[in-house]
Amino acid sequence: MSNPAVTPTPLAEMMKKQHRGKLSLEKFITLAALFALLIIFSVTAKNFFTVRNVLTMALQTSTITLMGIGVTFVIITGGIDLSIGSVVALTGTCAVLVANTGVPSWLAMLIGVFVGALCGYGNGLLVTKLRLPPFIATLGTMMIFRGLVLTITNANSASAPDDFGHLANDNLFKVLHHNSDGSTSVVFPGISSIVLIMIVLALLFAFILKMTKTGRYTYAIGSNEEASRLSGIHVSRVKVYNYIFCGFLAGVVGILLASRMVTSQPNGGIGYELNAIAASVIGGTSLMGGVGTVGGTVIGSFIIGVLGTGLTMQGANYFAQQIVIGSVLIVAVAVDQLRNRPRRAKGNR
Amino acid sequence: MTEVLLEARGICKSFPGVKALDNVSFNLRKGEVHALLGENGAGKSTLMKILAGVQSPDSGSLFYKGTKVHFTTALEAQRAGISIIFQELNLVPHLSIAQNIFIGKEPRTRWGTVDEKKMNDSAEVLLARLNLKISTKIAVKDLSISTQQMVEIAKALSHDSDVVIMDEPTSALTESEITELFDVIHSLRDRGVGIIYISHRLEELRHIVDRISIFRDGQFISTDDYQAITMDEIVNRMVGRQLTNKFPHRKNVPTSEKLMEVTGLRQEGILHGISFDLRRGEILGIAGLMGAGRTELARAIFGADPIDSGSVVVNGQKLEIRSPRDAIRFGVAYLSEDRKNEGLAVRMEIGENISLASLSRVCGPLSVISREKEQLASRRYVEELNIRTPSLTQKVNNLSGGNQQKVVLAKWLFCEAKILIFDEPTRGIDVGAKYAIYELIEKLAIAGVGIIMISSELPEIMGMTDRVLVLHEGELTATLVTKNTNQEEILSFAAGVERAQNNSLSKENP
Repeated sequence: MSNPAVTPTPLAEMMKKQHRGKLSLEKFITLAALFALLIIFSVTAKNFFTVRNVLTMALQTSTITLMGIGVTFVIITGGIDLSIGSVVALTGTCAVLVANTGVPSWLAMLIGVFVGALCGYGNGLLVTKLRLPPFIATLGTMMIFRGLVLTITNANSASAPDDFGHLANDNLFKVLHHNSDGSTSVVFPGISSIVLIMIVLALLFAFILKMTKTGRYTYAIGSNEEASRLSGIHVSRVKVYNYIFCGFLAGVVGILLASRMVTSQPNGGIGYELNAIAASVIGGTSLMGGVGTVGGTVIGSFIIGVLGTGLTMQGANYFAQQIVIGSVLIVAVAVDQLRNRPRRAKGNR
Repeated sequence: MTEVLLEARGICKSFPGVKALDNVSFNLRKGEVHALLGENGAGKSTLMKILAGVQSPDSGSLFYKGTKVHFTTALEAQRAGISIIFQELNLVPHLSIAQNIFIGKEPRTRWGTVDEKKMNDSAEVLLARLNLKISTKIAVKDLSISTQQMVEIAKALSHDSDVVIMDEPTSALTESEITELFDVIHSLRDRGVGIIYISHRLEELRHIVDRISIFRDGQFISTDDYQAITMDEIVNRMVGRQLTNKFPHRKNVPTSEKLMEVTGLRQEGILHGISFDLRRGEILGIAGLMGAGRTELARAIFGADPIDSGSVVVNGQKLEIRSPRDAIRFGVAYLSEDRKNEGLAVRMEIGENISLASLSRVCGPLSVISREKEQLASRRYVEELNIRTPSLTQKVNNLSGGNQQKVVLAKWLFCEAKILIFDEPTRGIDVGAKYAIYELIEKLAIAGVGIIMISSELPEIMGMTDRVLVLHEGELTATLVTKNTNQEEILSFAAGVERAQNNSLSKENP
């Protein structure tokens, strides 16, 4: 049917449209919501908008952000990864145990991250080779990985060598001022390397998703898996890559948390996967697949992070925070649903 | 016989940008089968939906059994005795036949629970009226498509319908199933039910139809007794011009150079040893009835489904087909009839769809996509194929069927495919866009591409192909030179009535 409403426009005009703002409406809405929260808390909570507090918030949010980015990749293909919370515990514990055998801490950390990627690879194989529904496959591995780490450690946490803690406890770009009386005062407390790692990885994975073949195929598979296969895309391979990304990032989080605590945490990371999924969904990722961005997930995770910190500073307890964050999740998706509701009776002649 | 059951007068209906029905009138008599004919976009479906209360007209009135009615929902129309059976069946797969028939109106016991016994008994009576002897407790998902259709009809009968509207009921049925369906339609008619029958298969009309109404571009054209009108007149009125304009004047000259040779292709229970060749610059048609294995053959060559034995040689090289990737590497492309589910990533942009099968061509080092190169390519094809779109970044699900088909085609052209397999290339595409697709296909053939075109529409086969393969139940029954054959001959091979000896090699050489 040739729809008269769709008229061909001169190409010059078409090209012009390309370069118009790339920021989509939904991302704008979530970004606006984030700023609104920042403003509200700055006004209502004392000490909220201080350099120190903002940096602390960034630090606390970074772990959700990293895991959210990983799970975003998987969700875009139409999958899900519930195992990443367990992966956090497993990788951190592995790294600490390896470091305690005398292996240099940096190498132990790399091994930990590698274990994370390996966990993701396992998930990928279950989903592509055994054709298990991702929810079931990763629900299973969530239990398996958790069971593994508890078995290995007998549920005891172990402390790590001192230098294991440097990565996550050192601040960069710290600015000190030497006072005339010989003492020093802190001008800028420095940015935690956790935040810097988060920024670097967020940029890297945004690049992968937007600019590389793997990223493009990720969207294509989520948009239409069969059409992708019939276009010659190696669907299984791309899916496995995505689970590896997800496991890798969970591994990074595991290492960072272990380093921050300078101990292994066999019981750590419980429920993190749900926060990560929430961050991704608030950021505009669709569980139906095909839709989502790294930028959106970063915003989504910061909405959760800012809410958490802001509410704490206003004296709201953890339980009340859960209610608020849960409501935000529902509202975010409801708004999206209302906006995308197909107009009734489209006239399918 | 002349009592009018249902009448529509001066119906108008517009959708944003389109006048779907323009002052249309129509009437249905008691005990007749009345065919609604017209091309896609002629307004048949809209009229049908208005008659069944699914949509309301902008203006005009409906009369049912002599009184003016105004249905606002399908349920109201159904209660009044007008049932509609859509092309896509509306059954719940996991429920039983009886549960489906009585869904929403289950008989109750005095305790308020569902009276299973009464429901099954009533369902059995209904099925008996359709000569169907089958347990009403079987889940619908375990039934064949034709039996499912019968269940839909039984559901319609359960409302004591006086009017039954059927939208392309035979499109998914085999020959013998169609015969069964026609028997049922006959018995309904004899019982005084008025049946509105929508079909694209003109050849089947003679078995069942009493009167014919023809629509074109939202306008009512004519109503005639079937006996009083010839097939040529029907087609001319549907198309609105002489058939000679329907296909481009063919200028492609098939060479004798073999692009592809398929030998003994076998798929257990589906394809039984199919051999043929395709030449450079040729348009090779594949004809056959539903279930003959045409799409299966195409998918097997393309590697979309595994084969049991047989070989495909492209340009003298044996093709190891394990997946579409292998076929694509050899320059073979497949354009599915189901564009939305198998051809397009509908939530992605035009350019992203075009580059999907050959992303490396728009990539710089390290597999980094160059948006610039991609835009350049999509601009080129939007221009070349005249894809009508408001912008290059349009998501493809906002395009019309014809333009979507062009985007799929652009994907394969950008991939530099040398062999294109079109599966029903014009299904669901309006007349003007059809012609554009035909022209493109012909242009490709002139450029030396080998084209395989699967089609259910024999005029399309006759008008567009150089040779035609005829399949019947997974076997190749004939390879014919199009200009030396006719629709009747193709049909008789397709129905398995006739079988060419040795694939009629004598006929094969032009």
